Amino acid sequence: MKPTHRARVFVIGTTILLSACASLAGAGTAEAPTPAVLTAMQDELDRSMAAMSKGDPAAYFISYTVADRDYVEVSGSNGALLTTTDTSARWLEVQTRVGDYKLDDTHKLPERQPSWTSPGTTVTLDQDIPVLRREIWRETDRQYRAATEALIKVRTSQQVQVQTAEGAAPDFSSEAPRVSVGPRVEIKVDRTPWEARVRKYTAAFSKSPAVLNSIATFTVLGMNQYQVNTEGARLGFGQVHYRLELYVQSKAPDGMDINRYANFDWLEPKDAPTDKVVFTRIQTMIAETEALDKAPLVDPYAGPAMLTGRAAAVFFHEVFGHRAEGFRQKDINEGQTFTSKIGEQILPDFISIKDDPTEESFGGQMLLGYYPFDDEGVKAEDVHLVDHGVLKTFLMSRSPLVDIPHSNGHGRRQLGFVPVARQGNLIVSSSRTVTNEQLRQQLIEMVKKQNKPFGLLIDDIAGGFTFTGRAQPQAFQVLPLVVYKVYPDGRPDQLVRGVDIVGTPLVSLTKIVATGDTPDIFNGYCGAESGSVPVSAVAPAILISEMEVQKKETSTDKPPILPPPAHDPEEKGQHQ
Amino acid sequence: MRKFSTIASLSALVLLALSLAVSASAAAGNTSNHAKPFVNVAPAALEQAPVSEAESDQTLHAMHDEMDRARTRLQLPGVEKPFYLEYRLLDLDVRSVTSSFGALVASSTLRDRFMSVDVRVGNYHLDSSNFVSEDGFQGFLGSTGQVGIDRDYNSLRQDLWLATDQAYKQAVTQMSLKQSFLRSLSKPPEIDDFSQEPPVVKIDPRVEPEWTTRNWEDESRAASAALRNFPHLNATRVNYYLIYVTYYLMNSEGTTIRSSRHLAGIEAALATQADDGMPLHDYYSVYVAKPADLPDPTTVAKSLAQTATELMTLRQSPLVPDFTGPVLFDAPAAGSVLAQTLASSLSGARPPLSTMAAFDEIIQRMGGRSEWTGRVGTRVLPANVSLIDDPTLKEFNGQPLLGNYEIDDEGVKAQRVGVVENGTLRNLLMSRRPGPDFQSSNGHARSATLSDPQPLSSSLLLQANGGLSAADLKRKFIDACRDDGHEWCLEIKRMDNPALTSIRQEDFSDFIGGVAGGVASGERIPLVVYRVYVSDGHEEMVRGGHIEGLQLRALRNITGIGSDETVFPYMQNPSGGFAGTALGAFGSAQGGIPSSVITPSLVLDEIEVRGFHGEPRRLPLVPSPPLK
Repeated sequence: MKPTHRARVFVIGTTILLSACASLAGAGTAEAPTPAVLTAMQDELDRSMAAMSKGDPAAYFISYTVADRDYVEVSGSNGALLTTTDTSARWLEVQTRVGDYKLDDTHKLPERQPSWTSPGTTVTLDQDIPVLRREIWRETDRQYRAATEALIKVRTSQQVQVQTAEGAAPDFSSEAPRVSVGPRVEIKVDRTPWEARVRKYTAAFSKSPAVLNSIATFTVLGMNQYQVNTEGARLGFGQVHYRLELYVQSKAPDGMDINRYANFDWLEPKDAPTDKVVFTRIQTMIAETEALDKAPLVDPYAGPAMLTGRAAAVFFHEVFGHRAEGFRQKDINEGQTFTSKIGEQILPDFISIKDDPTEESFGGQMLLGYYPFDDEGVKAEDVHLVDHGVLKTFLMSRSPLVDIPHSNGHGRRQLGFVPVARQGNLIVSSSRTVTNEQLRQQLIEMVKKQNKPFGLLIDDIAGGFTFTGRAQPQAFQVLPLVVYKVYPDGRPDQLVRGVDIVGTPLVSLTKIVATGDTPDIFNGYCGAESGSVPVSAVAPAILISEMEVQKKETSTDKPPILPPPAHDPEEKGQHQ
Repeated sequence: MRKFSTIASLSALVLLALSLAVSASAAAGNTSNHAKPFVNVAPAALEQAPVSEAESDQTLHAMHDEMDRARTRLQLPGVEKPFYLEYRLLDLDVRSVTSSFGALVASSTLRDRFMSVDVRVGNYHLDSSNFVSEDGFQGFLGSTGQVGIDRDYNSLRQDLWLATDQAYKQAVTQMSLKQSFLRSLSKPPEIDDFSQEPPVVKIDPRVEPEWTTRNWEDESRAASAALRNFPHLNATRVNYYLIYVTYYLMNSEGTTIRSSRHLAGIEAALATQADDGMPLHDYYSVYVAKPADLPDPTTVAKSLAQTATELMTLRQSPLVPDFTGPVLFDAPAAGSVLAQTLASSLSGARPPLSTMAAFDEIIQRMGGRSEWTGRVGTRVLPANVSLIDDPTLKEFNGQPLLGNYEIDDEGVKAQRVGVVENGTLRNLLMSRRPGPDFQSSNGHARSATLSDPQPLSSSLLLQANGGLSAADLKRKFIDACRDDGHEWCLEIKRMDNPALTSIRQEDFSDFIGGVAGGVASGERIPLVVYRVYVSDGHEEMVRGGHIEGLQLRALRNITGIGSDETVFPYMQNPSGGFAGTALGAFGSAQGGIPSSVITPSLVLDEIEVRGFHGEPRRLPLVPSPPLK
């Protein structure tokens, strides 16, 4: 039905995006000639502010963001090509704030659910200044009108509502404007070889009868973002990101859904994974899928557990990182786990955590959460969140807290959403490290000491950012996918499935007793209130003295009744 | 395969819901606000060589083999086997290009394939369909989804295998929920769930897309650049859609259909604001059989300039005051009114059973109930008026018809149906879902994007004895006006089409908010309205009027009929939810079902037009920037 189509059109314009960006490589070169789009933006900004700052109510801040998004997608499924597309779109976002920094039209009202989607519109791709100006003009008028109406509601509410302490924080922070216009990035991709590759990769999965469905997706995103605002910011920066994702679905005999997922990320075409590397990963995924299908369900258990680096990275991102996002401290509907805990010990004293979007790579590997400026035009900052176990601050957008009046460059969003404080590159470090082998030894000793039959080794965790875009678990859900029982008597590790962590996962973090010495990196897209944004998490393996798990509820949907057509013994020879 | 619903990144155009007339031939027609035929279209299938013979079509092979396996072996232990299996598959090639004021906004070429599997348990009298419940089977993949575009055998079998398995489990779950619901009713419905129809095998040649050598991006830029001469236009969009579809249908009764369909269209929306703040818009559309038939950019530019000129006149025109009396609907406006008011009542299918009281209520409130079921044999229109829906009609007065098809989306042969004969209701449009009045399909099941086929009109003809010439009709209209004591009456030349005039998502949402709630009020929105003075017959454009209370029943008050039968081509919106509104009636080339209404001009008595009463929007604080 029609509204649905429209809604989908909207989603399209806004899927996947990024805020990360700019090649600072261009920093040393001469400033590029001003792109037409930036000229059009500045012209309209000046004209609009001149009139709207004298309006009633007066606008005190206007910003324009234009995102040029070139996107290539080649996907395959079960041995055939699924889609192959190459699209370009230019997205305009206008923010028109009326009132003042202290109290403006965006002020959160208790009776009104905040809208996370920001108004925006698709505009022309051509460098046609008059047409761009007309689109910007129309959108500015629309936003100013909406802001005016919203401010009336805010003021009315102020007169009748009791104000909360959190509500005492200003609605918007003023920030030093940055001016930086780098060169544009372009993408040039021949899709043909990738069409062959995604067919080949998914055909390889089909060799296993355990794999019910497989999808391989190659994407290239070239993004150039421009921003101007009435504080004087003037930014232009771009980044290209290549990605290959592999995804398979299976079902255990009792109907439990089994998924395996892998991703490869790179910045330069030459760094694409080779077939050999991909096929090796495919074989691992098939082996894991087949083993998980046959693995027994976990028994309820409480005892020591070890998380490998990549599992620990996802774990920290989900259970710590999201709770350190500043806007949550403002919202009374949030758990506000850490709201009043600045200066307090929240983790063991050998753990420190920072979020540093300014790092492009870590140990030679790219970090997906890198960006020079956030989506509110603020320069990205390295934020030390936890210093030796003590909580120091929060990740901040331009929505201030009473005690933290400024942004630290973490206001992020997917195109089409309102920026909120989000993670970039969450990096966990430890001052109490042993080798991963020693850590495993410590796990076994702890099992013996606690007189447990076994310990748990968690090798992969699904979080909000491993599966975004596929109706998979959302943020904060932490679901261990690959878990082994580690026996103290030297028996081989045993794969189990259906593991569900009981209680608050956060408690587990306080029970970290030691860490490994080799940090692992996880790159992914994290889905939350402001949409899907690229992030990284870096952590060493960790040993937890006690974690409680139980059996996950299983799906009632049983495995397919008939065997796969390609593996049907009664159909020999018919398959083509 | 990918699920329809769970792929966030699925591009919108991938979802181009289209459902062109099931016909490899002459699915053509055109419209513009100036109602001038651009082209005459020769049957496409005759010009283009078949791409592949059925024997080498791996899609048909995979469908056949997997259906065979399911029919013989698909069964849960202790549970009944399916009695009916159905595979539908849509193979799409779509080019779409959008420009604004001469600048390109978007351009894409997409190729996609989607499947939909239906499995039923039970029997024709009582099966697992026609039942809506809050509970139900939650499968891991679902019975619909995106499938590989290679047209290969292996991947499609894998996808069909899983979808069939899921559909069977859904059917078994639905059947048991339905049976327990039926036991709770004092009197279960006696109408069959599914009609038995003779199987049809018809494998038409598959038509490959012919984009032509024309540069569509440049054409859309050039055409839309004409609007740059109108600085009062706040926003414009000119969309080109070039669409090729191959539709596959196979069922366990022996039906096998492969048919190629194609359509090309231009849809343009123009928005402005009057000096008093009233937002105004206009649209232009043209639909033809294939890209090569689209008008050249100079012709389109000319039409767009005409539309813009009309809109500029409208923004300068006076407001219409409240009015009740005779209204002359010119043929294109009459076509639109018939499309809107008749949409939900032509269907003879019964609505599904539901455990949810709210479901029934929603359908009712949205006007989704047919006013004509149960009234066969009674007078529903003036005695000289007949209504026919004829999908087999290829053209009218030399103008190709968009709604033409040979076999409907359930594989039933299309039939001409005399719905109303001399004012008396005789028939309703039927799919394979029986209703209280009729139990068999008459080949009117139509769907978009593999949605559930519903009985919909194709080419709907209003015919009358004794139609008057334009001059005589006008005279009769003015006489009626004078007799009624009016100084002037209203002539509506064109009605609005909100599916085409919404430039942005929000415009559309505003519209839904404004109108959907008021379905029951019969609100209809005219676009071009003239005041005709009784004294000397002179005309004056007016703006801001809405028609209220224009329901199906108002058609009994047709007091004057012209002899100027005109084709009103449009894209029908298949959604049931907003039936009876302009929203329910109209879609765009991106998602609508090609249809036509053929009607002469009509005079309707006692039409209530409400002038503008709200607060006008304020004008932009900043004047518009220069367009050149």
